[in-house]
Amino acid sequence: MEKELRDQAAKLLEEGTVDFIVGFAAGTLKHTTTPLITGDKDATSSLVINPFISNNLATYALEISGRLGIVAKGCDSRSIVSLIQDKQITRQDIVILGIPCSGLIDLKKVEKLSGKERDEIDDIAVVEDKVVITIGSEKREVTAATVLFDHCLGCELQIPQEYDFLIQGPANEIRDNEASREKIQELKQMFPDQRWAYWKQQFSRCIRCYACRQVCPACFCERCFVEESQPRWVSPVSLWQDNLIFQAVRAIHVAGRCTDCGECERVCPVDIPLRSLSKEMYDLVGEMFDYKTGMNAGAPPLMTAYELTEVESLIR
Amino acid sequence: MITKKVSKKDIRKLLTAWNQECNVIVPSRVDGVVGMAAWDNQDISFLDWYRNTVIPPKSCFLPKSEVMMSFKKNENGLKLEVPTGEHWQVIFGVRPCDARANAIIDHVFAVTYDDYYYISKRRNTLLVGLSCTNPYDSCFCTSSNIDPTESEYVDLMFTDIGDDFVIEDFTGGGKALLNMSNTVKKVTRADIDKAKEVKAAAVGQVKKTVDMEDVDRKLRSLFNDRDYWERISAKCISCGICTFLCPTCFCFDINDEMIRKEGARYRGWDSCSFRSYTKMPMENPREEKWRRVRQRVCHKFEFFPMNLGINACVGCGRCIRLCPVNWDITQVIAGLPVEAGVKSGK
Repeated sequence: MEKELRDQAAKLLEEGTVDFIVGFAAGTLKHTTTPLITGDKDATSSLVINPFISNNLATYALEISGRLGIVAKGCDSRSIVSLIQDKQITRQDIVILGIPCSGLIDLKKVEKLSGKERDEIDDIAVVEDKVVITIGSEKREVTAATVLFDHCLGCELQIPQEYDFLIQGPANEIRDNEASREKIQELKQMFPDQRWAYWKQQFSRCIRCYACRQVCPACFCERCFVEESQPRWVSPVSLWQDNLIFQAVRAIHVAGRCTDCGECERVCPVDIPLRSLSKEMYDLVGEMFDYKTGMNAGAPPLMTAYELTEVESLIR
Repeated sequence: MITKKVSKKDIRKLLTAWNQECNVIVPSRVDGVVGMAAWDNQDISFLDWYRNTVIPPKSCFLPKSEVMMSFKKNENGLKLEVPTGEHWQVIFGVRPCDARANAIIDHVFAVTYDDYYYISKRRNTLLVGLSCTNPYDSCFCTSSNIDPTESEYVDLMFTDIGDDFVIEDFTGGGKALLNMSNTVKKVTRADIDKAKEVKAAAVGQVKKTVDMEDVDRKLRSLFNDRDYWERISAKCISCGICTFLCPTCFCFDINDEMIRKEGARYRGWDSCSFRSYTKMPMENPREEKWRRVRQRVCHKFEFFPMNLGINACVGCGRCIRLCPVNWDITQVIAGLPVEAGVKSGK
């Protein structure tokens, strides 16, 4: 897969079809990757495809000017399509280099399972529906589903639907919808006061680094409501109540734009389970409006269109 | 300096003795996140798993948010209240990188300016260092001239030699702590030799290195090279992780919160990575991302050396380990054009 991707990327730069390639390169730490943004065709030889390519690169389409060739997994391709629907980017300026995806490794799950931290783990290898974790001379084989991200277990698009080039490769279907929603189900079973106490504890940790917002392609507002000061909607002080309001408004604001790429939760330095909010919104959007984000570049964005058949229990 | 030792199985007793005199703060893991928190008088399991915190110990002196004063309107006008409670505290398990980081922030809040809120916490705190023998792959303290097992910025330094900790004391406060418990014993020659061995091995554990030679001069000559900064900042997503979780970043913002007739003035962390940073007087002079990235790099490696003769990075590696896009400061330093330093001539 990598060779095909590198060749294609180099060709696009050489022919002048794109100004920049946005893809993934090996990271500087174990089991990590890093976004590669380059206009140099020789640099495309460092493009990689592996189970650690977590970033949703669609977010760069918003800020880099020029024509971009973007490497996109299924969820990323949906974000790109959603941005096109929202007229934040134009289709002609983007060349989508689609890649099939069998799911990404959630390093926190591997750490929990092995009792070791990321850099103490020597190797994490995916072999079809199994993952082999090597620590020293010890090898441990687990089913992939136990260490893939929750959002990958609920993936609805393993092979991008919208693309200019589709890199050929395997897309093993490793699905577990129940596990994908497990945290949400736990929250739903709580009494409201328990749930409130739970979120209070979670958001007390929030440091307002805004990494969740910054990695999110759906968060494309030029001015975020948290930074408005006239009037001020929410305090910039990291008090749990304001942290919760920030995140609640963000979840509602990205409903219909969120593709459940899981980046908000992955990047949170204080491990707030943000996807429990965004995935619930994602599923509600599906249930209430029969809408799947980013599947059709020609469709109007969810919140700008209205069908008579839609659920409007609030009004009726 | 007098060297002593304490058996690992006596650590609970030792901490308990301290906890009767002051608040003991230890590494704690809450919902998977490692920070420093009040000891529960019981759990010492951190001795097994603790490597370093996600939230740096600066938060003990400069918390993510704190009340500067509270106010209340009444019939007589406005009643102001400034928090006064000063508590003795001991922070156990500070790594040498973070200990130095605290000393760097002291320049800002305790040397060039007396910051009441910072000093009232800092001057009542004793730091107990813990030699770092299992650094992360992101750690590069040795490149910042820090020995992961030595620190002149702590009151006591503990080094794990197996069944015991060898303890070096550096200050009167440190000595006082040792006198609080009869668990502290004399060391043997063999203990000291073992500690030396452990320390020597620990330095080699820090695998990431970067040449800091001439970094300030190279940066000075690159300051106006927009292409350079645009290139290295391209993948940065402008979040606040690297600055908030940096043990030497200290920028803060002040906000008043008021509901009905009462409220408080808060101080909380701010970050030069944000587009809305320093917006108050006018617009942000660093509107473009490359200017913000440049500020972060130059503040640590150019302005600090220029103003205080010290580099403000301690190599704790949090900014690399926790970065959503693996933006790696050591790569940037290593990639500074060699001719850059020469060009400026100094």
